[in-house]
Amino acid sequence: MSVTSFATPGTGAAPRPAPEAEGRAAGTLRRLFRSPLSGALTLVIALVLVAVAWPLLRWAVIDAVWYAPDPAACRAEGAGACWAVIVEKHRVILFGAFPYEQQWRGAVIVALWLGWALLTAPRLLPLAVRLGGWVVVFLVSLVLMRGGILGLAPVGTDLWGGLPLTFLIFGGTVAGGLPLAVALALGRRSDWPVISFLCAAFVECVRGFPLLVVLFFAALILPLFLPPELTIDKLLRAEIGMIVFFAAYAAEAVRGGLQALPDGQEEAAKALGMSYWLRLRKVVLPQAIAVALPALFNDIIRAFKNTTFFSILGLFDVLGATKAALQDPDWVRYGLEGYLFVFLLYFLICTGLSLYGRSIERDNLRRLRRAGE
Amino acid sequence: MSAPAVEISGLNKWFGPHHVLRDVSLGLGAGEKLVLCGPSGSGKSTLIRCIIGLESFQEGSVTLCGRRLDGTAAALRDVRAMSGMVFQSFNLFPHLTVLENLTIGPVHGRGMARAAAAERARELLARVRLSDQAAKYPGQLSGGQAQRVAIARTLMLAPRVLLFDEPTSALDPEMVHEVLEVMEELAAQGQSMIVVTHEMGFARRVADLVVFMDAGEIVEATDPESFFAAPRSPRAAEFVAQISHGD
Repeated sequence: MSVTSFATPGTGAAPRPAPEAEGRAAGTLRRLFRSPLSGALTLVIALVLVAVAWPLLRWAVIDAVWYAPDPAACRAEGAGACWAVIVEKHRVILFGAFPYEQQWRGAVIVALWLGWALLTAPRLLPLAVRLGGWVVVFLVSLVLMRGGILGLAPVGTDLWGGLPLTFLIFGGTVAGGLPLAVALALGRRSDWPVISFLCAAFVECVRGFPLLVVLFFAALILPLFLPPELTIDKLLRAEIGMIVFFAAYAAEAVRGGLQALPDGQEEAAKALGMSYWLRLRKVVLPQAIAVALPALFNDIIRAFKNTTFFSILGLFDVLGATKAALQDPDWVRYGLEGYLFVFLLYFLICTGLSLYGRSIERDNLRRLRRAGE
Repeated sequence: MSAPAVEISGLNKWFGPHHVLRDVSLGLGAGEKLVLCGPSGSGKSTLIRCIIGLESFQEGSVTLCGRRLDGTAAALRDVRAMSGMVFQSFNLFPHLTVLENLTIGPVHGRGMARAAAAERARELLARVRLSDQAAKYPGQLSGGQAQRVAIARTLMLAPRVLLFDEPTSALDPEMVHEVLEVMEELAAQGQSMIVVTHEMGFARRVADLVVFMDAGEIVEATDPESFFAAPRSPRAAEFVAQISHGD
């Protein structure tokens, strides 16, 4: 039987550039009008979008009332969104029940947090400087909120509120929760059955409770069991609840990262004579956390949104403060605008966190491709 | 005459019910080269991993340059300080540059000054002909380059004994040579080493002793010429015939 397989040797021609690819805009346009039906659908959908978008735009921008010292202006015939409510109530929304003449302290805190976040986002400074800076920002924020020294009037935690409170709860949750999460994840993989059982039980128990229950327990039930001379501030108790809740979820993300690490990494480090802590610090954790990062940022963003749960304990984070501000009978009918504003605030901050997380991931991906693959 | 580099006697190891190392005894003289071969699953890798305490064992004794692995952390530390291991899968740290891969152990584990460590690292990278790769990440290297970096990494603390666990098995054929060349240079400089490999050319040129293992025990130990020319046991003969097949 003769062989029918064949191969034709190349002509040895010089390499030539690839044929030019279709531009993105041209390609999209072509696909939108690929056939008469597809073109018709495109037009119909475009019309619907315009029909919806136009009234929305009129309401939110063109007919909106931006500034009115008197809510009557918002009730005028044909008036759109009443953004004036935010101008009027911005102090309460941003700073809650914090004493009015002391609210500059809250403004400084917000400026510090946003400023340091923007400054460190490009990661030009060394990690130690960035983290050290956050510790300083956090401590300064605590001093500014609390007062009582440096001539600042003392303010009880029951009056803390608004965006500074949201930032502090969030910062404390992540700063306290990440180390606890790493400890729990390592503990769960421990060779000692008692430790691994305790860590697993802790994580499973906390994950089995709704956050609301954890917070209620920390804020309302825990004091019943503590001796009366040991009084811990309600805010601190609730914060501990937040940290524990965050850590239980983040621990599982970190554990996933640890599991993704090939055994060879640990073995090579051992063979080089590196001690347990050194291996952990320089070989295991940097890689495990890089792998766990997408899941960790999921938890971090959720931690930011979970700060809203504090309002059920009578502590007014931004959402709680907004709700309180909208109790004013003059403005009560403009709740939609108030909540839209808070929505936008959360959306911007969470999107910022999410973009930051993705930029770290991209950095890691560039380096983490393993040798030989 | 100094103490033998490695001395193993009456070593027995079980993985669950499997008896994976059976009464293994062998010694490596200072400055000598030992090649370990045998079919996969014969226990060669497990054996050399026992030498630096990556595997535990139930019976027998393992001594490296006079230091016996007695189960204490101190012995483990001493043994690992005097030895180095090169793995089949390189096991470079992917999050560190080539230079940092070399310096991290000595700088953080042994308190070597950063500048001194960097200088020594560059020297060693030059020796494995990778001077121009110091700033790269392992993911950017070819397999052969990665394995040469891994060899340089183990040399940072001038180990008395080097262990190689199938160092060329994960490499594309055209890269095997560059790694063997570096290993042969080390051998020529009098480095004591135990090499688990199927590279018969390397064994012929370098080995003082070829040890053939099968099913967890040493079947034959002889000089390379007689091993490859006339293996005495049928199992060794079959093995030699099989790995010669492709030549």
